[in-house]
Amino acid sequence: MLEPVRIQTEDFSVEEEVRALKSTSKRIGAVVTFCGVARDFSRGHRIESLEFEQYQSMALRAMEKLRQDTLERFDIIDVRIVHRVARIPAGDNIVLIVVGSEHRKEAFEACSWCIDTLKNTVPLWKKEITPEGESWVEPHP
Amino acid sequence: MIRVLLFGVLATKTGTKEMSLEIETPVTIEGLIEELRKRLPSLPEGEFLFAINEEQASKESIVHDGDTVAVMPPFSGG
Repeated sequence: MLEPVRIQTEDFSVEEEVRALKSTSKRIGAVVTFCGVARDFSRGHRIESLEFEQYQSMALRAMEKLRQDTLERFDIIDVRIVHRVARIPAGDNIVLIVVGSEHRKEAFEACSWCIDTLKNTVPLWKKEITPEGESWVEPHP
Repeated sequence: MIRVLLFGVLATKTGTKEMSLEIETPVTIEGLIEELRKRLPSLPEGEFLFAINEEQASKESIVHDGDTVAVMPPFSGG
């Protein structure tokens, strides 16, 4: 069974993560997913790929804490968080949040809060690789 | 001795990902950054985030001998 919180270079399967989440409880009546994807155009530039750097040990612990905080803050049954690092070509998956709850409202709210909080609390940095060169990305909401 | 880690744009601009800093301790993060600027003049200005031994810290946090201090630009994951 895949761990519910992971940082990995390889792509993830949304279907596999949803299946893993659903296997934890038959009380789950709603599953909400957020999948962040690498765009091929940003701030007027064509993007070939993104490259993510992490503070490895701290990033994983921050994501594990984020999972616990999400479980405590919302009336949900489970949440899984997967983030990729290293080079990610445009069009590929970056991050996945999967939330399961009895009813949809809590799952939508928890999923939105979880990705917003990830951006502010997990030590990861994104670099854009363009035909003209590469540059670090300033954070944006 | 303090182990200092730099990430993202800070590592790129200074050409340094990791360094050892001989500095009198205890010292605040703010004091450590002042000393770091003397060694790495290309360290950019701006709002940084900090961690001491992988725990998030502030400019007022106290650094002790043997600590690992991460100096980080704002996070941009997701």
